[in-house]
Amino acid sequence: MLLETKKVVVSILSLFFLGSLLIVAWIEGGKQRVTAAPDAIVTAENRDCVDCHLVKSPGIVGQWQESKHSKSGIGCLQCHGAGEHDIDAYEHEGAVIATIVSPKDCSACHEKEYKEFQASHHADAGKILGSLDNVLAEVVQGFTVFTADGEKVQPSAAAVSGCLQCHGSEIKVLENGKLDPATWPNTGMGRLNPDGSKGSCSACHVRHSFSRAQARLPENCGRCHMGPDHPQLEVFNESKHGIAFAANRERYAEAMKEKEWVPGRDFEQGPTCSTCHMSATKTLPLTHDVGARISWTLRPPVSEKIDAAALKQGRTAKSWEDRRRDMRLVCTSCHGPEWVENFYIQYDNLVNLYNDKFGRPATQLFKNARAAGLFSNDVNFDDEIEFTYFFLWHHEGRRARHGAAMMGPDYTQWHGLYEVAHRFYHEFVPQLEEVIEHNKRLGGDKARQAHQVEQQLHDVLNSEMHRWFLGEMSEGERAARKRAAEEFRKRYAQ
Amino acid sequence: MSSSMTEWVNERAPVDPEVLKKFGSEPVPEHLKHWWWCLGGTPAYLFGVQAITGILLAFHYVPSADAAYESVVRINETVPFGWYIRSLHRWSSNFMIIAVVLHMLRVFFTGSYRKPRELNWFIGMGLLGVTLMFGFTGYSLIYEQLSYWGATVAGNITESVPLVGPSLANFIRGGGEVGSATLTRFFAFHIGVLPTLLIGLLLLHFTLIRLLGVTEFRFKKSAGSAKTFSFFPDHVLTEVLIGVTLMFLMTILAIVFPVGLAEKANPLVTPPHIKPEWYFYFTFRWLKLTSLTFAVLSLGLFGAVAAAWPLIDGAIRRRWKDSEASVWIGALVVLALLALTVWEAFVLHFSH
Repeated sequence: MLLETKKVVVSILSLFFLGSLLIVAWIEGGKQRVTAAPDAIVTAENRDCVDCHLVKSPGIVGQWQESKHSKSGIGCLQCHGAGEHDIDAYEHEGAVIATIVSPKDCSACHEKEYKEFQASHHADAGKILGSLDNVLAEVVQGFTVFTADGEKVQPSAAAVSGCLQCHGSEIKVLENGKLDPATWPNTGMGRLNPDGSKGSCSACHVRHSFSRAQARLPENCGRCHMGPDHPQLEVFNESKHGIAFAANRERYAEAMKEKEWVPGRDFEQGPTCSTCHMSATKTLPLTHDVGARISWTLRPPVSEKIDAAALKQGRTAKSWEDRRRDMRLVCTSCHGPEWVENFYIQYDNLVNLYNDKFGRPATQLFKNARAAGLFSNDVNFDDEIEFTYFFLWHHEGRRARHGAAMMGPDYTQWHGLYEVAHRFYHEFVPQLEEVIEHNKRLGGDKARQAHQVEQQLHDVLNSEMHRWFLGEMSEGERAARKRAAEEFRKRYAQ
Repeated sequence: MSSSMTEWVNERAPVDPEVLKKFGSEPVPEHLKHWWWCLGGTPAYLFGVQAITGILLAFHYVPSADAAYESVVRINETVPFGWYIRSLHRWSSNFMIIAVVLHMLRVFFTGSYRKPRELNWFIGMGLLGVTLMFGFTGYSLIYEQLSYWGATVAGNITESVPLVGPSLANFIRGGGEVGSATLTRFFAFHIGVLPTLLIGLLLLHFTLIRLLGVTEFRFKKSAGSAKTFSFFPDHVLTEVLIGVTLMFLMTILAIVFPVGLAEKANPLVTPPHIKPEWYFYFTFRWLKLTSLTFAVLSLGLFGAVAAAWPLIDGAIRRRWKDSEASVWIGALVVLALLALTVWEAFVLHFSH
């Protein structure tokens, strides 16, 4: 190629190159950049709120800017705006607002979720005032002051900061529309709101970003569903589901923000709480009724099927079979039908074992002894045996059942039935025997009733499940256990 | 004003303009007008592109297992023109490897490695190795699934080298397995060790070219004294032409086929199909056809033979005068490597 030709070719190619750089610049100009708080729409009516709160409480505004609400122009007054006659309404900087945004307020746009939630067990979480747990919080641990007419004047701080933060307080509105500090702040699941609705959407959907991804996290449910009496979070973390989620949570982070996060379609392993208990699947719609797929109630001293209480009261409820069927549909997103079937057999067997061996006998003995007046039956928790019985069913008994329900074997075994057995044989039974002996020494009617309870205890301990404790194991079983123990010792040369 | 500036510079950097003129008008053999004789300058030019785009990328890249992938995402999505610089860097790396290989093939098939240029061939093999290592370390830094698992497989292969394998693998990885230590180490190699090595080898390479001159290459038609043309502006303009063409081509490729990002590395999830970059396809296929140890040893032997080829060719030609056995052997080897590469590419892209 001649030199002059080369110069021309270089010039033309350079022009082409510059042209391609212009295309690069054009593409760059069209690219959307990820920046903080991209497209929050502040409508005119919310402008003053945002401007002031940007200075006074910028975190709140920042949270809102992260939400989908802000992208749709749903701002402060759309949620906090109140009618002048609302019980909790007050005037604030020229606007009439209410602090509490109840599920009823959210139902203006989220009606389906509102209805499902109001029908759920979550919404009834605030109705614990008559429970033993409440007695503990208000009487045993705490101190509550009542007027002569039975009005609560000073609530128990233990309840306010403890139980009610999860279960929900009954919101009390003061004269100026402000909220009683004994009842708010509170985002408990079953909060009783001034407008009559139950619950708090922000119990799960942390305000003001109301993120789906955050609500789907197991830690979200674990705010309340954790601890010695209902360790669902701990059981989940122990389980394969929890391990699978932990291994993949970064990978799932973006997908979890989507409207639907369907197991088997959008992800292949590691479901969270919301997946099984609420999520849409390939065949089921999303539900905010968290009990809709649960077949047992593991809460009481003796577990029963979830619809049993409703049936006893003559109410209609979704049958436990239908709930289990729906849960199976979730399971089969990832598991084969035989796996699911066998799991439920194992789960049922464990619950029945707890019920038959410990739950029912302990409850019957406790109730009979109490009814017989062998220990005080007018005050809860003033006798050691009451705490013992409470621990047995309320703590380790629940742990064992939750462990089986959610495949956490260590919770089923060592934190569960092992501790149930120890509590039953080495605390409950000896304490009951002590109570019996004490009453026998008193003579008269007390002694007679003590003998009756003693006979009941004798019947329990001599039953097939418990006679090992009395050294009454059958010869056949004894021989089989001896053989197994010898083989074990040989194996480990002990 | 410009003459006083020139005077100021000349007093402090006394370069004789006559020397520059002489350098610029140095005669270059006529056959360098053929395109395939300009392939030596091309990888050097592309290294320059790599260095500039690499420095720009290094402003934003974070060599840590927790942050590497995210920093690349940021480069792609947030940093202005980051996607373009990254795509240029990737396409340029591919072209650099192609150019180095083509240049080596040109040198081989024109016998330009023969006495007295054997040393330059050895240096050239070193440059090829460094270029391939650039590609390997650079790709691993992204910390995608394939980067991670590719590096893991490479570590396992290294471990199987007899005697020194495990220590070598540990040294390269910064530990027993691929992780943050590997990334910092690869980053140090990629932006420090390898560029230093490359520049050093290039300087040696150019020095030897200057000392020995470019290989004379006469066709039967052109009898008599060899024709020449001037280095500047003629040959320089050829190199500029190649450079501008490459920039235009790579920009179009960056626009039409911008470099994306696969899934982030997950040590707990093995992808169903691990594959290296295309320039290692032939080794991958060879591994699959043979055993790990045999493949490692045979490929090592192949590399050693290739590096020592000037000596082997010299021995052959001493035995059989003017023998062109090297050409036939070279052609067979090239076909074999191509076949292995295409086979692996076909299996990876069409069977899965």
